[in-house]
Amino acid sequence: MPKSFMPLAVVCGLMFAVSPILIADAPYESTMGLVQKIFYVHLPSAWMFLLGAIVCGIASVRFLFRGDPRQDRLAWAAAELVVLFGVLTLVTGPLWARKAWGVWWQWDVRLTASLMGWMVAVAYLLLRKYGGPGSDKLAAGLALFGMANVPFIYISVNYWRTIHPTTSVVPTLPTSFGVPLWFSAATFLLLFLLLLRMRVRLEEQRARVDALYLSMDA
Amino acid sequence: MTLLRTLLVVVLACAADGALVLAQQPPPQQQDEFVPIDELPPQDQLPAAPLLVTAYSFVVLALFAYVVSVARRLTTVQRELERLEGDLKRGDSA
Repeated sequence: MPKSFMPLAVVCGLMFAVSPILIADAPYESTMGLVQKIFYVHLPSAWMFLLGAIVCGIASVRFLFRGDPRQDRLAWAAAELVVLFGVLTLVTGPLWARKAWGVWWQWDVRLTASLMGWMVAVAYLLLRKYGGPGSDKLAAGLALFGMANVPFIYISVNYWRTIHPTTSVVPTLPTSFGVPLWFSAATFLLLFLLLLRMRVRLEEQRARVDALYLSMDA
Repeated sequence: MTLLRTLLVVVLACAADGALVLAQQPPPQQQDEFVPIDELPPQDQLPAAPLLVTAYSFVVLALFAYVVSVARRLTTVQRELERLEGDLKRGDSA
């Protein structure tokens, strides 16, 4: 692990401790009230979900064209984070929607595309675990579909009729709502980077174990 | 016959009067009309706190479980790596 890992992990822990204070101090939204505070974990989770899909897709492209195993390890690590942050998004969203919309789920474009993106990441991991030889390239191809879905998820709310808020909400947020949101987003981003580094390290160590077994057999 | 005519006139007049009264009544309230969520009767309102607590608890527990999972997998692989390197060193020296 790099030397900066532990200090950054401590900073991330402190940021996670401070986040609830900022979120509690943020004013209540006028129409939704208390339940709107789910926004401060739902939106950063969704951003990390999309970021993970982009990282996985780019690393997969580089693996497919250059055959670099480090890119493959990065893609695998990112796919696991897509599943993790996707679960957080797909669980916190309905909990908010139940109160704000009166329903747990709507089969609108953004929600359905997000679920599809999450299922692509799950399929990637299943393929890597049970796919056998050659599954790395197949999974890399699958990751491209996951990445192609990201802009569709993002802009879908602006083009199709939906009850989900549009992309214009965040840029127009008042400071009292914006500060806790951006602080929470920075915390989630740091956590994402630390988890990605940990997960890549796991794959590096596994690759070393495989190399040692091969050298013992030879 | 005159009585019958009179009765018919009275019935028709009453029916016309009834139709006029019905036409003047306001239309019945539509069922799909928008009602702001904070104006719902208390029995129809959902409490927000349990949903908020569930969301935050889930996020914290899921992140914690994932960190523990990666740390455990990393420890297991690290141990296996040290064992293999030890075996290789012993094999070289023997």
